[in-house]
Amino acid sequence: MADVQRIYSANRFDYVLLDEIGNGGSATVYRAFYLPLNAVVAVKCLDLDRCNNGSLENIRLETQTMSCVDHPNLVRAYSSFVVDRNLWVVMPFMSVGSCLHAMKKAHPNGLEEIEICFILKETLKALDYLHRQGHIHRDVKAGNILVDSNGAVKLSDFGVSACMFDSGDRQRCRNTFTGTPCWMAPEVMQAETGYDSKADIWSFGITALELAHGHPPLSEYPPLKVLLMTVQNAPPRLGDKKFSKSFKDMVAMCLVKDPKKRPTAGKLLKHSFFKHAKPPELSLKKLLADFRPPLNPVKVLQIQNSESAQQLSSKNMASAAEYEARSMREYQKGISAWTFDIQELKAQASTLLLDDDNDETLESRLVDNYRDGLTVMGQCNQLFPLKCQTLTKSAQF
Amino acid sequence: MKGLFKSKPRTPVDIVRQTRDLLIYAGRSSDSREAKREEKMAELFKNIRELKCILYGNSESEPVSEACAQLTHEFFRENTLRLLITCLPKLNLEARKDATQVVANLQRQQVNSRLIASDYLEANLDLMDILIAGYENTDMALHYGAMLRECIRHQTVARYVLESQHMKKFFDYIQLPNFDIAADAAATFKELLTRHKSTVAEFLSKNYDWFFAEYNSKLLESTNYITRRQAVKLLGDILLDRSNSAVMTRYVSSRDNLRILMNLLRESSKSIQIEAFHVFKLFAANQNKPADIVSILVANKSKLLRLFADFKTDKEDEQFEADKAQVVKEIASLELRDRLERNAKQGPFEHHVEW
Repeated sequence: MADVQRIYSANRFDYVLLDEIGNGGSATVYRAFYLPLNAVVAVKCLDLDRCNNGSLENIRLETQTMSCVDHPNLVRAYSSFVVDRNLWVVMPFMSVGSCLHAMKKAHPNGLEEIEICFILKETLKALDYLHRQGHIHRDVKAGNILVDSNGAVKLSDFGVSACMFDSGDRQRCRNTFTGTPCWMAPEVMQAETGYDSKADIWSFGITALELAHGHPPLSEYPPLKVLLMTVQNAPPRLGDKKFSKSFKDMVAMCLVKDPKKRPTAGKLLKHSFFKHAKPPELSLKKLLADFRPPLNPVKVLQIQNSESAQQLSSKNMASAAEYEARSMREYQKGISAWTFDIQELKAQASTLLLDDDNDETLESRLVDNYRDGLTVMGQCNQLFPLKCQTLTKSAQF
Repeated sequence: MKGLFKSKPRTPVDIVRQTRDLLIYAGRSSDSREAKREEKMAELFKNIRELKCILYGNSESEPVSEACAQLTHEFFRENTLRLLITCLPKLNLEARKDATQVVANLQRQQVNSRLIASDYLEANLDLMDILIAGYENTDMALHYGAMLRECIRHQTVARYVLESQHMKKFFDYIQLPNFDIAADAAATFKELLTRHKSTVAEFLSKNYDWFFAEYNSKLLESTNYITRRQAVKLLGDILLDRSNSAVMTRYVSSRDNLRILMNLLRESSKSIQIEAFHVFKLFAANQNKPADIVSILVANKSKLLRLFADFKTDKEDEQFEADKAQVVKEIASLELRDRLERNAKQGPFEHHVEW
């Protein structure tokens, strides 16, 4: 099987790191040169000393999954090895970068439908492949969809991906809490119910909105609030006149709260919206033309962020526009890269609940937002069953 | 007329039989035409995927236990597992992954409330030789490794591997250059040394000398960060397990072992330091410390106490703090006791280990 053999060595001296192209948490991604083949690759350097034993196990699983995927729309790990305290993972170099990056650079208010259609279709093929193998990606978002200069689209970052078939058992569902809050399906947040590959379909729907607007819904709120609102509010919709009915319909199918009612990736691929997908030389023409190779995308982003922040503060905007801008600003600060600790959030929630004197507590904001008759405790019990039940008990005395 | 040409849906037993025939075909040297072979291989891959779907279900349906039992019975009635394992290199990547998941699942299937996979493997233990050697083949390592880890869930199989000559090879496999493969070998190694308590305890007492000599020199003193870190963590797990108390007592009575652990305690890596502490504390807490252990601790007392003074975990950990307090107390009280004993014995005071 020539196509899956290891071609890239596990020898650090075969690689020359060139420039930094991404940075998040404990990992830095470099553009690199692989000497034996004269090839440009991307190398992710992960500081292992900053990972606890539990996440080391996840890193093993992720790396193994990545080295065993063979699909044109998935980023494969060509090689992985330890250098000092770092793990180096060698991957294909995708010169345009992530859709998030491309969007921030040239299309801050979202992409065109023709672009979105192609990108989403390619992403969906990757999800279909992963789901058929029993994997859940768990972190589908524009920031993890990479584009190459020839228009190839690949889903990356299996950082939190889980295998439903791990160790021989079909697990009914997973109940670990991972992902990035804005893209997270309601059932993932309600950790006690568990979830399956349909959680990716929700995130896929959110990603569609992200590509259409330049940011995902609720991106202006803090994580805890996103959590509560995703569970309580009606699912977000694509409402803009400029988009086609089939696009709106496709998004609505993904963003159904009951995971059982969401289509599988395979079924969704047959949706009429994707019938119109055009090849990248047509659909991504503009996006690819905007792209100029030699710059360091991280630096460019930082410059743009500071510019747009200045612009925003100097203008006096109407409320709707302001809402969008605020959302965008929060988004550009990098919610996409939030690392997210549910234990911490739960602890945070419990202190908020106990803190009666503080006006700016969770409750006061919640009551404003949800006048649907449910008590705050009721809502929180749904989200944080254990902690809140004990709280409710003690509150009775 | 229509019904006449419609083929009956194949039963799980049919699919296993057909898979077996195709595996026998695939195993033969390719004398047939290329096109025909390709067709047969495609059919084989399809069959293996169908087996997987029966065992795991798919996004539309859950697995049916009756069908799983029939499949498992037929699979182990003949030599299908051996065929599948030996033919694995001839399959494509997707079929290899499917086959691996099938083999993993079969280890847990019960037929008439018996794990018949265990009975089969007991009579075919040499299959483990193939799976373990898989670590030396970068293209097969992850598939064979995953199968191996599932097979050693059966105690007899784990015992066979522990007592085999293969056990020595793991010390090299854990340090292979490819991280995904080395980490897989490490996961298997850990499983072998932690899952079946009584078997592990027996293995360790019988093989104490060579095993810990290798463990110390190849793993704990490895130049590879991740090898050292995982090895010291696993050592803690092994020694702190109640079933291994005899081995623990022996390990913490050796000054060479103490020297290695004290070096790990000094590493600049926080993670390694913390794991090393969990082993070091056993040396300190041992109520029957041999004289040479005591003298090393005494000789390095002030350095140790200084180290522990600002030794903290990232997140607050009550157990760790309690352990640390006890270790500090123990070491602080040592000199006095040591001096009294030396006076009583009038023995010379030596401390070869300068830390």
